[in-house]
Amino acid sequence: MDIGELILSTVRMATPILLVALAELYSERAGLVNIGLDGIMSFGALAGFMVCFITGSPFLGILAGAMGGILINMIYAYCTISLCAEQIVYGMAINIFAPAVASFIYRIYFGVSSTLAQDTLMKSIAIPYLKDIPFLGKLLFDQTPMVYFAYLMVVFTAIFFNKTKKGLNYKAVGEYPKAAETLGINVIRQKYVACMICGALAGIGGAYLTTCYVNTYSDGVVAGRGFIALSAVIFGRWSSGGVLLACLLFGFCDALQLRLQIMNTSTPYQLFQMIPYVCTLVALAAFGIKKAGPKANGKPYMREER
Amino acid sequence: MEEILRMEHITKQFGSVYANRDINLEVRRGEVHTLLGENGAGKSTLMNVLFGLYQPTAGQIYLNGKPVKITSPAEAVKLGIGMVHQHFMLVEAMTVFENIILGDKRTKGVFIDRDARRKEITELADRYGLEVELDKPITEIAVGAQQRVEILKALYRGAELLVLDEPTAALTDLEVEGLFEIIEKLKKENKSVIFISHKMREVLKISDRITVLRAGQTVCTVERSETDGAKLANLMMGRELAPSHYEKIEQPGEPVMTLDHVSYHKASKHSGLNDISLSIGRGEIVGIAGVDGNGQSQLAQIVTGVLTPDEGEADLKGSKVAKFTPNGFIVENVAHIPEDRNKMGLIGNMSVQDNIVLKSTEEPRFSDGHGAHLKKKAIHEYALSMQEKYDIRCESVEQETRNLSGGNQQKVILARELEGNPDLLVAVHPTRGLDIGATRFVHDSMIDARGKGCGVLLISADFDEVLEISDRIIVMFEGQIMGVYPGKNPPIEEISLAMAGK
Repeated sequence: MDIGELILSTVRMATPILLVALAELYSERAGLVNIGLDGIMSFGALAGFMVCFITGSPFLGILAGAMGGILINMIYAYCTISLCAEQIVYGMAINIFAPAVASFIYRIYFGVSSTLAQDTLMKSIAIPYLKDIPFLGKLLFDQTPMVYFAYLMVVFTAIFFNKTKKGLNYKAVGEYPKAAETLGINVIRQKYVACMICGALAGIGGAYLTTCYVNTYSDGVVAGRGFIALSAVIFGRWSSGGVLLACLLFGFCDALQLRLQIMNTSTPYQLFQMIPYVCTLVALAAFGIKKAGPKANGKPYMREER
Repeated sequence: MEEILRMEHITKQFGSVYANRDINLEVRRGEVHTLLGENGAGKSTLMNVLFGLYQPTAGQIYLNGKPVKITSPAEAVKLGIGMVHQHFMLVEAMTVFENIILGDKRTKGVFIDRDARRKEITELADRYGLEVELDKPITEIAVGAQQRVEILKALYRGAELLVLDEPTAALTDLEVEGLFEIIEKLKKENKSVIFISHKMREVLKISDRITVLRAGQTVCTVERSETDGAKLANLMMGRELAPSHYEKIEQPGEPVMTLDHVSYHKASKHSGLNDISLSIGRGEIVGIAGVDGNGQSQLAQIVTGVLTPDEGEADLKGSKVAKFTPNGFIVENVAHIPEDRNKMGLIGNMSVQDNIVLKSTEEPRFSDGHGAHLKKKAIHEYALSMQEKYDIRCESVEQETRNLSGGNQQKVILARELEGNPDLLVAVHPTRGLDIGATRFVHDSMIDARGKGCGVLLISADFDEVLEISDRIIVMFEGQIMGVYPGKNPPIEEISLAMAGK
């Protein structure tokens, strides 16, 4: 097995999961558990694909994915923040609703045919100097800009939550909203902002699949990556560094199973396909026991409550 | 002394309930002003209005003589009002330092300037003797230290007027001493403190002036030098009471429940019992008086089998209780009107008729085969007869109980608990939140039960209620029995003082 190939594809596989896991991190840090990531991703995937198909620009596609993600997530935001509805129920509703809408729009525009429409894939951009590092340079620094964006987001997120005032206030909303309110932090606004960030990042994660990974859109293109991202947040202990490691592990499993499929044609391929999911299960069972997430996670916040 | 705060005619309504009604309060610079009142007198509501957490239905607030409208806590902080809530507003996952600077808008810049902030906080802490360890997470410091963090938080934001909502409730005696020293230092720096409490001893020790609230209204404001504990207790309870119109029993029957040196979580003053011995006879009502949170809930839960005491013995109908289980007590015909009817007394999403038969579904008249198949028709008819007997006002007995008014919900509980002619009835705050008519009905029902030979244990924070129907009055304070008094011609002054722990 070619180690270089494996690392390259690990990085590529991990990127969409990483973007979406960061989306969830921003959401949960404000006390909003959003299990609708899969739904947001599929809508982002469609929005990204269509705009890329029409304009020919993958970058505009990514932008459209972000906008689409925000749009869909505002349904969740309004219901859970303003109406104080159950977060799990509305997350699930997004998971059912968004992929269906995406597939509906796709069929209206492209019709039902056996040949899939194809868009332009985003091109890799090598980073000068860094790409010349022996072995790793070619693997890590000759990727699409979205890969760099995802890793920069990890660094940015770590600094934001640990070093800045705004990040501290943001975390307080997820831990103890009432305390945040008494300190003059606008809890409701912060939660809406969190949902916009979450929608945008998850939408980008979806659009990545159709503009950087494969050049077509099909139903089920997301393939449960939203849920894997969700578990990456728990596995990564709600820190961006931890989330990165978790995503790399899941990405590695995905890459590994593809290699194994190609190498062992005699073994049923479904067995290998299971690997990322089994790995998720094991990781959750091993690391998900101790509750360490934001304290007010999943609880609605009502202002004038007695 | 000049005035810092004036609240005029403050009214706050929650639905149809008045939490505050036409309240006036005036606080001077450099004084400790106590708000005194029983639970539910409206102290916390008034302070939440002051701090911008609630918007008043009517009324006007003046700060330093100028009218202000406080729309949010942020606004209150800007105006120099600091509040230490009864339940601390501290983010447990963060450190002391982070909690203090949280939400700080005074300094520009994106990043946290740790060194400068630390210096500032340390100086402030030294000035007021507020010892805190800045780098410890909140979960690792004691309650007293958490309170110091809260005070420091308020001072850091430039508070001139500091509200302390029941600050001593969770503290040990030593920590209370420390707090009082801090309050004295605040006074020296010409800051004003609003101190909220119902503990007489502390109020007398620390206050300059005292405003008494009762049932959401101001009773009066008095100078500390011109009053004493007994006077304040009377003002707080509102003791211009007409003599009870129920006959008091002086010779009860044989004991139905006896507690012998029972203790439960002894060390806890507010949620434990310390060496309680008492007995409830057939055909008498024993009333437990005392400010809420002095062990009453735990007592009620022990005599209904919900909690098991750590020490001591209990005798039920002449035989020793071996195992404390709710069902065991129900089988022994112990009825329970629990303290929170919505959380413990009723299943809100179930119908009136289902709630009425909840305890007796296994009886042959309501089901075949010990509850295997419910006789819906028999249950319905029984519920209709109960609806009439207990005057439960609902659209139908199939209506969900959560949609009923408080009084009618309580009647559903009465119908369930009293119909079996219990040997022991434990009633906790049985009339809380009820209007006069419903209250009278509940009292009459309890007197009826007494007439049928039932022993009744009444636990209530409403002193009037205890005086009204008890044949014997026991005062509880910090988990202990302070005294036993006759229900006929009770020594009211003595009882009031016992309730305040004197």
